[in-house]
Amino acid sequence: MGQDRTLSDHAVNPPLAALVLVALAGAIFMLPLLPAIVELRLKRDAQPLNVIQQHAGEIRYFANGFRKVAVELQGPLRDCVALGTTAAGKLPDGDEYLLIGRVDKETWTRGGKPLAICRVVVAAGADAALPDGMTFVKEIYAAGQLIGGNGNTYRAILGEKDVRLQRTSKVTRWAHAVGAFRAEHDCDLYGRVSSDREIDLQSGCVFQRLNAPRISFGDAAADFGQVTSGAPDAVAGPQSSSAPAGRTLYDEDLDIPPGAVIPGSIVTRGKLRIGAGARVLGSAKSDSAMIVDAGACVEGSLISAATMHIGRDCRVGGPVVAERGIVVESGTRCGAIHAQTTVSAPTIEIEEGALVFGTLWARDEGRVVPKA
Amino acid sequence: MIYCLFAIVALISIYTVRHYGFTLNRLFGFQRHPYIDIDTAEWPKVTVLVAAHNEEKVITNILAALMAVNYPPEKMLVVPVNDRSTDRTREIIDKFSGEHPGRIHAFHRQGGKGGKAAALKDAMELVETEVILIFDADYIPGRGLIKQLVAPFFDPDVGGVMGRVVPLNVGTNLLTRLLDLERSGGYQVDQQARMNLRLVPQHGGTVAGVRLSALREIGGWNDNSLTEDTDLTFRLLLAGWKTVYQNRSECYEEVPETWPVRIKQIMRWAKGHNQALVAYGFHLLFGKHRATFRERTDGVLLLGVYAMAPLTMIGWLLTLALFYEGIAPLHGVIALLAFTAYAATGNFAAFFEIAAAARLDYTRQRICLLPFLVLGFGVSIFSVSRAVISQLMAPLTGAQFHWDKTERFRTTP
Repeated sequence: MGQDRTLSDHAVNPPLAALVLVALAGAIFMLPLLPAIVELRLKRDAQPLNVIQQHAGEIRYFANGFRKVAVELQGPLRDCVALGTTAAGKLPDGDEYLLIGRVDKETWTRGGKPLAICRVVVAAGADAALPDGMTFVKEIYAAGQLIGGNGNTYRAILGEKDVRLQRTSKVTRWAHAVGAFRAEHDCDLYGRVSSDREIDLQSGCVFQRLNAPRISFGDAAADFGQVTSGAPDAVAGPQSSSAPAGRTLYDEDLDIPPGAVIPGSIVTRGKLRIGAGARVLGSAKSDSAMIVDAGACVEGSLISAATMHIGRDCRVGGPVVAERGIVVESGTRCGAIHAQTTVSAPTIEIEEGALVFGTLWARDEGRVVPKA
Repeated sequence: MIYCLFAIVALISIYTVRHYGFTLNRLFGFQRHPYIDIDTAEWPKVTVLVAAHNEEKVITNILAALMAVNYPPEKMLVVPVNDRSTDRTREIIDKFSGEHPGRIHAFHRQGGKGGKAAALKDAMELVETEVILIFDADYIPGRGLIKQLVAPFFDPDVGGVMGRVVPLNVGTNLLTRLLDLERSGGYQVDQQARMNLRLVPQHGGTVAGVRLSALREIGGWNDNSLTEDTDLTFRLLLAGWKTVYQNRSECYEEVPETWPVRIKQIMRWAKGHNQALVAYGFHLLFGKHRATFRERTDGVLLLGVYAMAPLTMIGWLLTLALFYEGIAPLHGVIALLAFTAYAATGNFAAFFEIAAAARLDYTRQRICLLPFLVLGFGVSIFSVSRAVISQLMAPLTGAQFHWDKTERFRTTP
């Protein structure tokens, strides 16, 4: 403007104009750094990442947390049991609770009508049988045996004794039974289900993460006795000092003939088929699909980078992992009562009659199917 | 001159595509964590080696943390490898050892060759287990970490395991905050993408594990290497063993708090990496071994990472020289489009990776510091170039490689 004489000569101060230009250019340059400088000074997000240090994925983490709440309620709950009454109150976090000393027909009615939704934390001091078709929005604690109703929906259950869910029930968060846990046909068990003793799921049940010393499906116990092939009750870890040494690496597909005995571990870059009745004394890994035919036995682990199909009456000692999916047929046993293991894949389809000792973890969905 | 520049730009473009590929894979691809769900098993016996050279500031923390893990105590032996320490490290280790009889077996090294690899090599006389885990003394493992690092060894194909390193002293100063972002990008995106794509996740030599039979098969620790971890990664790969990365097996570490310490650290890494490039690069790419095509390609690119810094600097110098010579690298619109596209995407590939990592970590404000990474980038490029020049000059100057220990800053016992 000064140059064009729009402003008079006296109105333009060249040093000031240069200063303003530099300041403006500097400001524009600094603008993207402004949030950085603010963050550097204020340290709003300068804590170390919240690495999970303590529970480390422990399946009973939520159950153990809720047990602390239950412990606080033990005193008044015992009073309710002694008097056969109910009592209500509020937990420190504001949730309402209902203590039940004796469960009867009146417990689940309001104004003579059956209750459809229970919105409070429930603690039952004795054995409890729940009516059909109810939704429990909050946790349930049962000091005695808990028997659910058909088609019920539960947020979470902690049972100090056995827990039995009837047909088409749903658990949306977690369930833990100190005693046995049993789910009848077509239950949906989202999240974590654990038991200190055993879990039994009937066909049609959907699950994600299960943990118990013994997990059976359908009538596994009946089939259990019929198996005649050699079954390892206890196996070594990954090539521990007592395990067979060495691995054999194959660059292509491999078929292990029926009845063959492989003394060490095998790794294939292609597909792997372990023939009927074959025995692998180490572990087996396939970079592709894996098929284990009926009656085969693998004393170590079974790992597939794709899918895995384990036929009838097989035995696997170590962890069973497939990166895409696993099908386990009836009569197969993974782990042993004194050598528990993990079966893990995004999807797991397991037939009635199979047995797993330890953990069964389906990231996307596990399903119990009827015996073929 | 111009063809040299084209070659350098082509190399940089390859790394750009690689970084973008990794980031997009992490954001939208299938994520592989095959072993992380193994939480119940007959856990094998394991030896945990803790490399310690003058670590009085930090050794207590790691030993205490290892005593608190949920691994069956009767199956885990901790071996602090006290490598010629002249401070109170020995005293602290012996005290811990006395307090936990049978769980800690100290290995005090009085002399011998310097460096972590040499110390680990000597400590192998105490190792009897098939699975070995390795930690540097400034790390603080969480309760479930040992099981997580051992789990992949149930796979008979796995020779090495690497966990994720997470800085603990993030908020100390600008450097620690920048290193936090760099670590985030390096592990959350880079390493996990290489795991997803079945490429070559790198063994980091700490928060890591190795299978004894695999280690024996490749001839044990290489005490001539400045970065025994990189060396191990490639020798395992050439022998047909897989190294896997476990992104959810996180462990806290202490990052350098001063620039001189950081520069020393990165110079050592650069020299060690380049050693491995010379030793294994050609054989990895063209040799007869069991690595797949994608492992060969990614492996060579991984080995060449530190060679890119001096090449980039040479590229800058060439560009300037060509400019003053009056030579245009390309012509007209093509030049404009090419360089605009490169400036808009190529230069920012690593930054994009770090931004994606921050998002995956669910952090929010720390990403604001991204522009300051230019500073870290500048320091790295000059330090690495300096390291490369000194390496190239070594035969002439007669300089010997030596191992520089990273200084610790922790003040709490």
